[in-house]
Amino acid sequence: METFNNFIGGTVTLFGDPIGILIFFGGVVGGMLFGAIPGVSMLTLAAILLPFTAHLSAEHGIMLFSVIYCTGVYGGAITAILFNIPGAPENAPTAFDGYPMTLDGRAGKAVGAAVMCSAIGGTISCVIMMFATAPIAGWAIRAFGPPEIFALVFFGLAVAASVGAKTFWKGWLSIMAGLMIAVVGLDPVGGIERYNFDMPYLAAGIHFIPTILGFFAVSEIFVQAEKKATGAYKAPELSVDFPTFKELWLHKIAVIRSIIIGFFCGILPGIGATLAAFMGYNEAVRWSKDRLSFGKGKIEGVISSETANNSATGAAMIPLLALGLPGGALTAMMVGVFQMHDMEPGPLVFINSPDLVWVVFAAMFFANLSILLVGFLEAKTIVNLLRIPFQFLAPMILLLATVCSYAVRGLVIDVVVMFVAGVAGFFLRRSGYSVAGIVLGLILGKIGEQTFAQAMQMLHFEFTGFFNRPIALGLLIAGFITIGASVYGAFFKKSDVQQSEA
Amino acid sequence: MNLRKTLVGTAIALGAATFTAGTALAACATDGLPGEMEKPDGFPERALSMIVPYGPAGGSGQVAQAMAEAVTELTKVSINRDHKPGGSGTVGLTAYMATPADGYTVLEHIDDASSAHALDSERPNPAEDLIPLVTSQITFSQIYIRTEEDRFSDWPTFVEWVKAQDGKATIANVSKEGSMERVTMKFITDATGMQIQQISFDKGAPRYGALAGGQVDALFEQPGDVRKFLDSGMFKPILTILKDAPEAFADVPSLTDVGLDFEPLFRFRGFYVAAGTPEDRVKWLQWAFQKAYCEESYQAYNESKFMTLIESFRDTEGSKELITNTIAQYRDVYKEMGLEVK
Repeated sequence: METFNNFIGGTVTLFGDPIGILIFFGGVVGGMLFGAIPGVSMLTLAAILLPFTAHLSAEHGIMLFSVIYCTGVYGGAITAILFNIPGAPENAPTAFDGYPMTLDGRAGKAVGAAVMCSAIGGTISCVIMMFATAPIAGWAIRAFGPPEIFALVFFGLAVAASVGAKTFWKGWLSIMAGLMIAVVGLDPVGGIERYNFDMPYLAAGIHFIPTILGFFAVSEIFVQAEKKATGAYKAPELSVDFPTFKELWLHKIAVIRSIIIGFFCGILPGIGATLAAFMGYNEAVRWSKDRLSFGKGKIEGVISSETANNSATGAAMIPLLALGLPGGALTAMMVGVFQMHDMEPGPLVFINSPDLVWVVFAAMFFANLSILLVGFLEAKTIVNLLRIPFQFLAPMILLLATVCSYAVRGLVIDVVVMFVAGVAGFFLRRSGYSVAGIVLGLILGKIGEQTFAQAMQMLHFEFTGFFNRPIALGLLIAGFITIGASVYGAFFKKSDVQQSEA
Repeated sequence: MNLRKTLVGTAIALGAATFTAGTALAACATDGLPGEMEKPDGFPERALSMIVPYGPAGGSGQVAQAMAEAVTELTKVSINRDHKPGGSGTVGLTAYMATPADGYTVLEHIDDASSAHALDSERPNPAEDLIPLVTSQITFSQIYIRTEEDRFSDWPTFVEWVKAQDGKATIANVSKEGSMERVTMKFITDATGMQIQQISFDKGAPRYGALAGGQVDALFEQPGDVRKFLDSGMFKPILTILKDAPEAFADVPSLTDVGLDFEPLFRFRGFYVAAGTPEDRVKWLQWAFQKAYCEESYQAYNESKFMTLIESFRDTEGSKELITNTIAQYRDVYKEMGLEVK
């Protein structure tokens, strides 16, 4: 009851002030737009707005960032679905099935699913956040150290090897290629340079955003250009036919599963929405009876990814508010907003500024709900971009992708990486390798290598140390079982068929 | 400990000059500079750029923002920050060295640039290949434990407990090869006979979460970065890595108090312009950045980060001395540690 009263109090404060309402809707629209426009992101908007928050009250400043966070994570799904350009890394798995749906004339269904599932995932995680911030935050950091996070990554990679590749070997080779790219740059423990061939810019490693843009957007343009040249090009059909509630209800298990996964990943400091989206997608594939149809336009892929990444937004606020530990770049910027108002996020915020906390909770709740309304209106408009003929659209996408790649770190090498990945992606896709697997290997590889090194240091370089950590052990066993099952599925099952055929 | 003796000479000036607690609050270091300075031949006639070799949310990103805003407040000249993170500052520094030396691009960097040059002299020397405009943050490190910790409660009981663990105790830090953290930990473990496993976390949040969640036994950090955990009572310092404890941490033992005899290493952040920049422009930039250090907004920022506990300010000459001494100090340590010094 106290929680409910606090929530009502936060809502009244939020909407009882015209300036607050203005900032709230500004944040909703701004987050969606910056999330949706390739080349910029919600982080760009946050960085622009950061100095101005000094002139706002603490409640308004922090509320603005929370709202941008919720709607920005959703916004990137639109371009992932329509143009195969994920607005942010956490929207990359959305493109796996969202873009094939667009090519298939079902863009409206995909965008609609993204809108609804982002709203559902974000709202539910927000409600959990309101009820259980302090105990969940404490539990997460006690239960999940580097060994557990490494085991989670291992499990994720084991599942991912079966995503999008034509054969068992191609799936694993794709993952391994991603892992190999991930080790370029400084090693995460000793800071030793590896595979940078004395090029200082490579010391920073291969960033996953230009890689994603190359593998997805640029290679797709090459694929479509080839079709155009050979006369096989077919413009995607425009569709604003959103999914019905009944259609989505069929995927309720996927939604619930992704909420749990997203929430879980979101509360781990430094992990956040990207791992959530990939894990949500992977698990959808793993539990599906029709795995092979993933990556070819299955709505469940969009649902799983978008539910999970928005579910991570509410969860990421838990370690931030309860412990002062930001989960990602945007929540780290929020720390800056707190500091501008002589405050520090952490346990004292609940004691010193309970009103502020509840304004933020209320704002995030309504921001997620507003994704439904504003998101549908935005989506109805934005799908019309598909009317632009390919010969005009393709250069625009290339330009935006180039700007986006450069904007990540202001390095030309990132643009080069994007084009190399684009060319590589074009050929790899033709030969049945999984570009999704490579990207996943790259993203998870960086987290995995660091946490493995940390885990080994913590366990005094004894693998048996994992046996004393039940969660890590459970995840490792699950990973090995997954690998075993995929080996069995790829070889022994086939042998049975061949034998019976013989 | 021959190493200690060799370090005393090079670091004594640094220690003496640095430990002037409280002076920044009473009268700001650059109060004597003129309030305005004529622009040399109209420079700058457009916005300046500031390359920051780290992300916007970390310590460097924040100090760059605070200084850029203070300079703009003072001069009305905008500064666009260009973050180029990666490679422990290598990428940003490399990118900066490729920019024209016209004064329109300045650089923010930390002591990592000095330690990198100490290890490999082909890397730019911040005191020679760059002109320091101002060093605006100098801070010390501490060792922290959880306040609710029941296995040990202070430095002596911590040392005793770590020794009993036979090398299995852990401490979170940024323990990259040759880093200030690793070198300082070597001083401490050599002097106390402790064996402690250093766990390297390159980002703050997982590092602090590791201590808060009991994944590690202790944390090596600078006080400004963990202020919120100190204010909330989650962490408490058990050792200040300074010869004498500053007033704000009077109840925390210093190196002298616990019988550790080595010269502490400092974390410092400052702003630079490329060597070869026209002299009149350098002078104007020196004035702008040094004067901005005393702007109210910047001082408030430094205070919020515990950066006024010891004197944080160095002008160009002071910064050069600080950098040169630091490079010499690191070089000696690296040789002692058996690292290959190029």
